[in-house]
Amino acid sequence: MRAWLRFSPIIVNETIISDTMKKYDINFNILRADISPRGGKMLVEIDGKQVQESIEYIKKRGIEVNPIKKVVKKDDEKCVDCGACLSLCPVKAICVMDDWEIGIDDQLCIGCGFCTSSCPMKAISVME
Amino acid sequence: MKKIEEINQKIKDGDVVVVTAAEMISVVAENGLKKAAEEVDVVTTGTFGAMCSSGAFLNFGHSDPPIKMYKTYLNNVEAYSGIAAVDAYLGASQPNRNPEIGIDYGGAHIIEDLIRGKEIKLVAEAYGTDCYPQKKIETYITMDKLNQAIMVNPRNCYQNYAVATNSTDETLYTYMGTLLPKFGNITYSSAGQLSPLLNDPYFETIGTGTKIFLCGGEGFIIGEGTQHATEVERMNDVPVSAAGTLMLKGDMKKMDPDYVRGASMPKYGPTLYTGVGVPIPILNEQIAARTAISDENITCRVIDYGIARRSRPVVRETNYAELKTGEIEINGVEIPTSPLSSYKKAEEIAEELKEWIINGKFYLTNPVEKLPSKDHFVKPLEIKKPSILIKDIKIKPVIIARPTEKINDVAKKLVENSINHLPVVDDKGKLMGIVTSWDIADAVARGKTDLKDVMTKKVVIAREEEPVDVIARRIDKYEISGLPIVDKDNKVKGMITTEDISRLIGESSRKNK
Repeated sequence: MRAWLRFSPIIVNETIISDTMKKYDINFNILRADISPRGGKMLVEIDGKQVQESIEYIKKRGIEVNPIKKVVKKDDEKCVDCGACLSLCPVKAICVMDDWEIGIDDQLCIGCGFCTSSCPMKAISVME
Repeated sequence: MKKIEEINQKIKDGDVVVVTAAEMISVVAENGLKKAAEEVDVVTTGTFGAMCSSGAFLNFGHSDPPIKMYKTYLNNVEAYSGIAAVDAYLGASQPNRNPEIGIDYGGAHIIEDLIRGKEIKLVAEAYGTDCYPQKKIETYITMDKLNQAIMVNPRNCYQNYAVATNSTDETLYTYMGTLLPKFGNITYSSAGQLSPLLNDPYFETIGTGTKIFLCGGEGFIIGEGTQHATEVERMNDVPVSAAGTLMLKGDMKKMDPDYVRGASMPKYGPTLYTGVGVPIPILNEQIAARTAISDENITCRVIDYGIARRSRPVVRETNYAELKTGEIEINGVEIPTSPLSSYKKAEEIAEELKEWIINGKFYLTNPVEKLPSKDHFVKPLEIKKPSILIKDIKIKPVIIARPTEKINDVAKKLVENSINHLPVVDDKGKLMGIVTSWDIADAVARGKTDLKDVMTKKVVIAREEEPVDVIARRIDKYEISGLPIVDKDNKVKGMITTEDISRLIGESSRKNK
C-alpha cells in the first residue's frame, strides 16, 4: 500500500521506520521525501504480511499515516494526448497506448511532479 | 489525371473515395501507385500542435456613447486595437498583464474560452474624440455578442521542424517544452506522415483559397505563412528542417473546443493548440506518391537548444519513425523522446475531415493561386548595434586563488583588489570553484579556515564567445552577481560582474546621447 507519512519535529531523532521494519518484517520503499529539522513528509510503499500491524505501530509512535489510492491523476477532459510529459518521467510511468492515447501507470509513479509542472494543459496532478 | 470538379461531382454522387494520409501508405503499398492514384480521390491530413503564431480579429460593436479603443484588455490580456475603433487583434502568445497570472492565462486561453461560450471581461481605454467621446468602458462579452470573431493565424502548419535537445548542465524551458540537462530528453512537434505540408511538399495542390478543416470548423488557407521558406535541403522530396508555412483564417463562431486549446509552455509562455486538416486531391500519380510518404522517410534534425543563438548546432539526423519509438540514441545513450503535438488528435482530425467529405458536407476548392514554391528564404534580423561579446568588453586583470589558500589570505586578496568574487583554479589555471566575499564572511562566522571547504564547486560560467545579453539573462536566472569567464579548455580568463554590465549599459546610453 502507498501512504503519505507526516511527522513532527519532536520525533525526527527516533528510529521509528527501522524499528517497524525489524519488528514486522515489511518492505519499505521511500518514493518521495521532504525532511527537515522541522519535521517532514514521505511518500512510501509498504509491502509484507503485517502491513496493517506495522501501520498501527507507526501511528502509535507518532507518525500520521494517510493511505492513498492514487498517486497521480490525469484530467482526461484537459489532456489532449500531446505527449510532452513522456520523456520527462524518470521511472517511465507514462506511455503511449496503441491508439496514441497517453496513459500514466499509477503503480509506477513516484509522484515527483515533473510532468505536472511541464504539462502545457495543466492536466496532471499529484495527489497530496 | 483527375480534376477537382470531377472529385466534387463524386462527392455529390456519394461515391468519392477518401483515405487519411496514414492509410494512404498501405493503400499504395498493397495496390501499387497506379491503382491507388486511380481509385483514391482525396487524402486527408491532420495536425494538432502548439502554433504560437495564431490569433483572432474581434469586432466588439459600438457602445453608447461610442469609444475608439486605444488600449484593450480581455480578462486582463491585452489585444492590439490600433485598428479602427472597435476592432482588436488578440495574439495567442500574449501573456496576462497581471504578473501573478502571467503566462498561465494568456491570449490563447481567451480564444478557447470564447469558443467555449464563456463570459470574458472587456476593459478598453481611449483618448476621446469628437466622434468617439467615451474614454473608458468595462463590460462583459461572449462569443454571441461579438459581431465577428475571426481566427487569423499568420504562421501555422510548419512543413517539418527542428527536434530539440539540450547539451548544457541546466534544465531549459523553451517553446519546445522542458529540455532536461545533458541530453536528458528530446522533443519534436511535427505530426510526420499526417502533417499537411509534408504530404504536398511542392505545394502542387495546396494554395491560397484552399478550404480546410480549422479547429472543428471550415477555414481557408489565405496564403503562405510568415517565415515561409522553399530553398531548403530535401530528402525523399520533403524538407529536412523548417520550410513552408500557411496563413489560415476561420470563423471562430463555428469552431469546436475539442480541436482548439489554450496552453502554456512552462516558463515560456501561452500558445494555442490548433487543429488543422488539409484535403489533398489526388489529381495524378505523382501527387499520390507524395501523400504516401511514411514516418521513416521523413528526415529531421536534432538541434541543441542549449546554445541560445540564432544558429544552433545540429546534433544528429533522425526520422519520425525513430522518434515515435520513444527513444533515440545520442552519443551511445538512448534518450527518451516527447512529441509536443498530439498524433491522436491529428488522426481524429484527418478522420473527421474524411467523414465530412464522404458525407457530402465538405467540397474541395481549386486554389486561386499556388503558394510560392521557390526563391523564398527566411532572412535574419540584423541588429544595427551588433551584440557585444564577452571578449569585447574590458575586463580587469584576473585575480585568482588556489584551493589550498587560507581564508585570511583570501580575505586580504578581496580587500586589496576591491573585488567580491574570486575564481579558484588548479595548477593549470583551470576553474575549480568560486568564492565570494559573503562566503568568506560566512566562513569566519562558522570558524572555517580553509578555502577548499567554503568555495562553491558548482559554478555558473560565461564563455568568451557569448553575447553580453545572454550573460545578463544568466545572471538574472541564477540570481548571482558575477561569473568567471573561461576559454574552451576551462581556463579562467577573467570575471564578469553585474557592475561590469551596468557600466556597459551606462556607457552605451551616454554615447547615444
